[in-house]
Amino acid sequence: MTLTRTSHSEVDLFSDEVLVDPYPVYRDLRDRGGAVRLSALDVWAIPRYADVRRALADWAGFSSRGIALNEPVNRMLVGSVLASDPPFHDTLRAVLSARLGPRAVRPLQAEIAGRAERLVDELVERGSFDAVTDLAVAFPFSVVFDLIGIPDDARPKMLGWADATFTVFGPLNERTLGGLDAIGEMFGWLGTLQATDLKEGSMGRDIFRAADEGRIGRESCIPLLAAYTSAGLDTTINAIANAVHLLGTHPDQWDLVTADPGLVPSALNEVLRYDAPVQGFGRTVTGDIEIDGAPVRSGSQVLLLYGSGNRDERRYPEPDRFDVTRNPVDHLAFGYGTHACAGQALARLEAHAVLTALATRVRRFRVGEPVRHLNNVVRGLERLPVDGLELR
Amino acid sequence: MRLSVHRDRCEGYGLCVDEASSLLHLDDDGELVLDAEEVEPELSGVAEAAVRVCPVAALTMD
Ligand code: HEM
Ligand code: SF4
Repeated sequence: MTLTRTSHSEVDLFSDEVLVDPYPVYRDLRDRGGAVRLSALDVWAIPRYADVRRALADWAGFSSRGIALNEPVNRMLVGSVLASDPPFHDTLRAVLSARLGPRAVRPLQAEIAGRAERLVDELVERGSFDAVTDLAVAFPFSVVFDLIGIPDDARPKMLGWADATFTVFGPLNERTLGGLDAIGEMFGWLGTLQATDLKEGSMGRDIFRAADEGRIGRESCIPLLAAYTSAGLDTTINAIANAVHLLGTHPDQWDLVTADPGLVPSALNEVLRYDAPVQGFGRTVTGDIEIDGAPVRSGSQVLLLYGSGNRDERRYPEPDRFDVTRNPVDHLAFGYGTHACAGQALARLEAHAVLTALATRVRRFRVGEPVRHLNNVVRGLERLPVDGLELR
Repeated sequence: MRLSVHRDRCEGYGLCVDEASSLLHLDDDGELVLDAEEVEPELSGVAEAAVRVCPVAALTMD
């Protein structure tokens, strides 16, 4: 007989206080065990790096049909790339990766770098700006909208929609309930789109072409379009916002980057490790298993905590130290395995472009008091004033 | 030990190449090429590092 033990925690991971600074709570969960029963939610938290990686590598044992922590949203996501398991998943993913994979986005690099330089020049000229609205939001919006090819009239609404699409992955709390209305509105609008509403040659138009050619079903078009619009915005926005925040509050680290802009990719990996834009996603366990001695029954809901695994002292020495030379290439911010972020090549391209443009122009900058944006899943900022620029 | 790439999974991130440039490279089209399937024992650490960093788990060693 194996000896089993079950760790519990009463913490509400989705309360305002925890969302503002989840890291002490994550550490407590990691200390309790590899799987910790969250009594308030009927969910197992998986807080350690190795267990999260193992689960992500095993799509059959950890099904994505339980990607959200509530049933209404899991039902809504049936048929989407994020919530499907292979083999259906792979059919949808192939359509996305044909346009989002490294081979496909490499030719966009010069154009994206040029856009970043123009935007950063304009902000530097102004002398002070809000790093969230004027940079972190403005940049991915300008890049991603053009690539997807969706009509301009949706832009003002899209930020709120994108934010809602992540918050609703949480348990059915106030934030989730509020988000559900926005999602309904987004799908309503997406549902009205025809192939001809999307720019010729765009990634969005390609989805409809894949349906015309019989590579995917008609019914997959709108879910795939939603994957682009929602997954590609809030995440990249907050990665850039978190980067400016962390580099602004660690001037010694910024000095390293400006002295050698070749460090930008490593610095971005460290930003993503330190403050994962997506803090966690769910899975449904498909068989009776044991995680670190805890018996987890078939059908149980687990929550894979990327944001905690990235701070696991078992994996990264001094995990709470922000170190741009660390280059933690195996961080969990993009997930791993079957569902690993399909947009990571584009996300990296965008973030590298912005950070390189900053590093080659701005020797020093000052960040004011940030305002956190609270979302059940996404860790990021609402406002981040920047001034005191010293140019190179 | 043998290193293999699952073509249907590999999306060409090239992170593996950064770890093990002596074992694999990306060709001009961005397709991954294995330079040696059989991994010499002294390179097994390097090969394991490549397997580890692939974001989509497209590399395996056996
Ligand atoms: C820094 C920015 C980004 C972060 C941190 C991020 C994070 C993630 C994570 C953690 C997953 C894994 C989901 C899981 O484990 O179930 C994921 C999946 C995905 N991401 Fe991203 N993402 C980013 C940018 C983007 C962009 C720019 C796009 C597209 C334009 C995108 C499209 C997708 C899609 C389509 C999936 C689903 C893949 C699948 O289920 O096979 N992401 N992302
Ligand atoms: S890291 Fe993985 S996906 Fe990228 S080239 Fe290597 S095997 Fe292919």
